[in-house]
Formats: sequence, structure tokens, C-alpha cells
Amino acid sequence: MAIAIATHNNAIPRASFGWQFWLLTGRFLKTVLRNPGAALPSLLISIFTLLIYQESFGTAATFIPGLAGNNYTAFVLPLSLLSVALTSAVTAGAVIVSDISTGYFDKLLLTPVSRTALLLSVMFVGSVLIAAELALIMLLGVLLGVNPPTGLLGALAVIGIAVLVGNALAGLGVGIALLTGSPAATQSTSLLFFPLTQLTAAFTPLELLGDTLRAIAQVNPATYVLKAMRTILLEGWGDTTSIMTGVLVALVLCAVTFMFALVSLRIRTGRK
Amino acid sequence: MDNREIVVSNLSKRYGEFHAVREVSFRVRSGEVFGFLGPNGAGKSTTVSMLTTLVLPSDGTATVGGFDIRSQPGEVRQIAGVALQEIGLDPFMKAPELLLLQAQLFGLRRSHAHDRVAELLSLVKLNDPQTLKRPVGKYSGGMRRRLDLALALIHRPQVLFLDEPTTGLDPASRRDIWAEVRRLNQELGMTIFLTTQYLEEADALADRIAIINKGQIAVEGTPAQLKGQLGAESINITFQSTEDAQQALGVLADLSVTPPQHTDSMLRLYVQQAAAMLPTVVARLQDAGIAVDALTLTQPTLDDVFLEVTGQRLTVREEGAKEETTLHSTVA
Repeated sequence: MAIAIATHNNAIPRASFGWQFWLLTGRFLKTVLRNPGAALPSLLISIFTLLIYQESFGTAATFIPGLAGNNYTAFVLPLSLLSVALTSAVTAGAVIVSDISTGYFDKLLLTPVSRTALLLSVMFVGSVLIAAELALIMLLGVLLGVNPPTGLLGALAVIGIAVLVGNALAGLGVGIALLTGSPAATQSTSLLFFPLTQLTAAFTPLELLGDTLRAIAQVNPATYVLKAMRTILLEGWGDTTSIMTGVLVALVLCAVTFMFALVSLRIRTGRK
Repeated sequence: MDNREIVVSNLSKRYGEFHAVREVSFRVRSGEVFGFLGPNGAGKSTTVSMLTTLVLPSDGTATVGGFDIRSQPGEVRQIAGVALQEIGLDPFMKAPELLLLQAQLFGLRRSHAHDRVAELLSLVKLNDPQTLKRPVGKYSGGMRRRLDLALALIHRPQVLFLDEPTTGLDPASRRDIWAEVRRLNQELGMTIFLTTQYLEEADALADRIAIINKGQIAVEGTPAQLKGQLGAESINITFQSTEDAQQALGVLADLSVTPPQHTDSMLRLYVQQAAAMLPTVVARLQDAGIAVDALTLTQPTLDDVFLEVTGQRLTVREEGAKEETTLHSTVA
């Protein structure tokens, strides 16, 4: 074991922020891909529900007012996209909470790594995973007959909006993971999936909902996101107000939860 | 000349009303192995956490390699290697991947980092091809501990913090780590701050030792100095009952140069020449009609020092490390 190891390290330069981000992104991606059990269920559930919607309500467009002439699968596809975005968003928080519970998070903190690079890299990996799953669901939708008038650009825009919403929930999950270090508390963010996707115009246009549900749906941000996605998939780029409102809502949600995650990071890494 | 000192002055840490560490002061010289001992909850890990910048002190100051732990945490991290008591590893990653990531986060260029990873994997004996393919989650406790040490060494630290580095290891692995700690210190001049629950480990490795109890430094010195404070040798007598030991205490107490220690059915006397004193001890016990189960002569150990300053023993021992002569006899 006679190995010469110099101890003079003053000449070692520090890794740049961008390089740290890249290194950590690679590591988070490896960890997630080597534990696919965490991400697969949400994808499988979304595929299953989309197929069920197709079989159950495939002809609904012919008798639901306001949908006449439209493809019901295209109407319900945004709901499936939103579902997969929200459920797979938990992955980022799960990775962080796992690092905290194994002690590897502290190991990283003992290096000169930027705390912000840590947060951004795990959020980025979360977004990549969400986008990959969304692309699969979108592809399935196309195979089931969805043909957006906005073409490939429209499909990408819809995926982009869903990624933003997924990122918003990922920010919340990461924030809770950093704040509590508790797997159960982090997992509980997925419960938001139900009110966000059910207390909204999930299966019919907003106007057809009962008074109470409609009132709730009007304050549910998912309603505006769904409206924007449906506009792109069913009508085209014409209704810019609906599209921009949905995008704005998604961006605001993203910004708010990202700030929450940043504050949680400062609390977790602030030397108490 | 590099500054590899650790200088701690009145360092304290409070959690609400609880004082985890209270006005601790000591100085670890460049190139020294400093043993930090204490019972569970004494404040060892809290002190390490403060010195390695994970926890901010409530009061007091400390520098590591000349860098202030409060205002220069980044510089401290750059020169310090840390192997914490809780081994923190990502179970889904492989050893070379973790080492390479750690090396690059510390700023090593990719080609140098690869060389360094190979060097350290060989050093901690994790370079078997089959081992390299397995995720860390499938490693044994000893392998994880050795990988953790390699991670702590990746950036060639000047000061190394080892928080109970051999806990849970089998004796052979423990001796490997000991040899490596000695080599890092002697060949490379690395300053090593070592906490351990194995007193033999501190005795074997540390140039100087501090014992912390209830958040405060109780005693500090070289192992020889600390053991010397208790007297040269001890006679340990095990009786059939606590009452017998109690009675023997009254008969033998005046022979001990420092206050004898009495725990349950055992009595320990500290004397200058134990062998010469033995006939007197036996005669007195015979005269008092007290039966003896076992009688041993012992060179003072750090365990005795630990008992003296903390009022309790550390039960974990390294087999065969204690110099002890056992005389099983019945004296009636």
C-alpha cells in the first residue's frame, strides 16, 4: 500500500458553477435511472387511465355540448399529461430526501459545491424525467387519433406547459424534503394531484360543471393550464388569451415553489 | 510551511437550554494525531460538526489550517477531509463514480481525477473488478467504511477528521485502517483529528488525547501522561458478591495510591508495584475471610483514565490489545 500522495492542494482550482451543475445533474440522473421503480408507476397509471378514458368516453364528443365535432381523446389528453407531470414530480423530492436519510447530502455539503447548483441540478433532472414521460403520453395520444391543428410545435408547447406545472410541484416536493428530511412528508405532496386534477374541468367543459364544482374549479390553477393545453390541441393558436393565461399561471406556480425550495435549502444548509 | 493546525478556543454549542459543547479549548499541532474521546452524547460529534463547518458554534472561535470556521467555511472544506460517524453514500452509485464525482467537485481535472480514483481504490483495497461493478448499496459495512475514508482523502486534505472511523469493522479491517492512519500521518504529515470509542485505538494512534465529558474537556495529555496520573499499575479483584467487594474496600483502601475504584463485585487498587504488593493483599483478604473469584494485575489503560474522569467505562474493547495477567485463584 505504499502509494505516494502529495498533500499540497493549494494549486487545485475550484470547479465552476456550471461544471458543478453538470456533474451533479449526471449523478442525479444515474441515481434515478438505476431506481426506475420510483418513476414507472406514474407513467403506467397515466397510460392506463388514458386508454380507459378513450374506451369509456371516446364517443362523448358527439353528445357533450361544446365538444361537438372534436376528438374527445384530444380533450382529455391534457388531463393525462397533467397527471403524469404531477405524479412524476415527486421524484426530485424523493431523490433529495433519500440523500438526506443516507447521509450523502451532508457528504456533498462537506465539499465546496454550490448549494444552488445542488438545487438546480435536481430540479433539472426532475424536469427531464417529466418531459420524457410526457413525450411518451403525447405519442400515445397521437396513436389514439389526436391530431393537433398546431402540429408538432403545438404538441411541444403542450408538453412544455405540463413540464412547468410538474416543476412547480417538484419545487414544492424538494422544498418539503429539504425542510423536513422526511420521506412521508415529501411523498404527501403527491396528494395535491387529486384536488388539482379532479376539482376542475377534468372531463367536461367548465360551463357544464355544477355550481359548486365550477366555483372551486375557477380558483384551481389547473383549470387555466388545462384550458391552455386544450386550446392548443383542439383549436390552434387563435385564443392567445387562454394560452397565455395558462402559461402565466404555470410560470407563477413554478416561481413560487422554486422560491420555497430555495428558502428550504438555505434553512437546511444554514449552519444552525 | 503549511499550516495544518487546529486551534479551538472556548468553543460552545447550545441547542436551546442544552449545552452540547461548553467552552472547549485545545490545540492540535501540525502533523499530530489527536484523539478525542468521550462517552455517547459527550459532545464529540458536535465538536467535529463545528470544526468541519456543518454546524455553526454558539460561542467561541476555531481555526482549521489557519482558516476560521465561521467566516471561511469554503476554505476549511477545501483543506479538510472528513469521514463522519454516519457513512453517507448513495447506494445506487458505484465506488469509482462516487470518487470521481467527489474529485471533480473539489476541482481536480478529469484526467488527474481518474488517476486519483485508481490510486485510492487500490489504497483502500476496493479495486477488485467485481467490487467495482457493484453499487455501493451492496457493500459490506467494512467496505463502505473504507470507501468513505477514500472519499475523505480524494482532494489530498491537509487536515483529516475521522469520527469513529473503525466502528463496526472486524479486527482485521480495523488494523488496516490503523495502518493507513499511521501512514497518512507519518509519511504525509497529515494532521488527524480522531474520535473513537475504542480506547486501544486512541492509545495506539494518538500522540495526544483529550477526554470530553458532558460537553467539557475533562483531561488532556499524551497517553503516557494520562495513564501516569493514575499510578503505575493496578490490582483488580473480582469477588463473589457486591457485599464482599464492599467489605474488601474497607480492608484494602489504604494500599491504593489513588482512590480505589469499586464497581459491583469488582475492586481495583492503584499501586506502584503490583506484584510486590500482591502477598499483602492476599494476606489481608484471608485474614478478613473474604473469598476471591479472580485476581488480575493490569498496566494502567486509557480505560482507567476514562473511568476516572467520566465515571463510566467504555465497554467496547479490542481483543488482545490489553496487557493483562490473569491469576484465577481462590483465596479463602
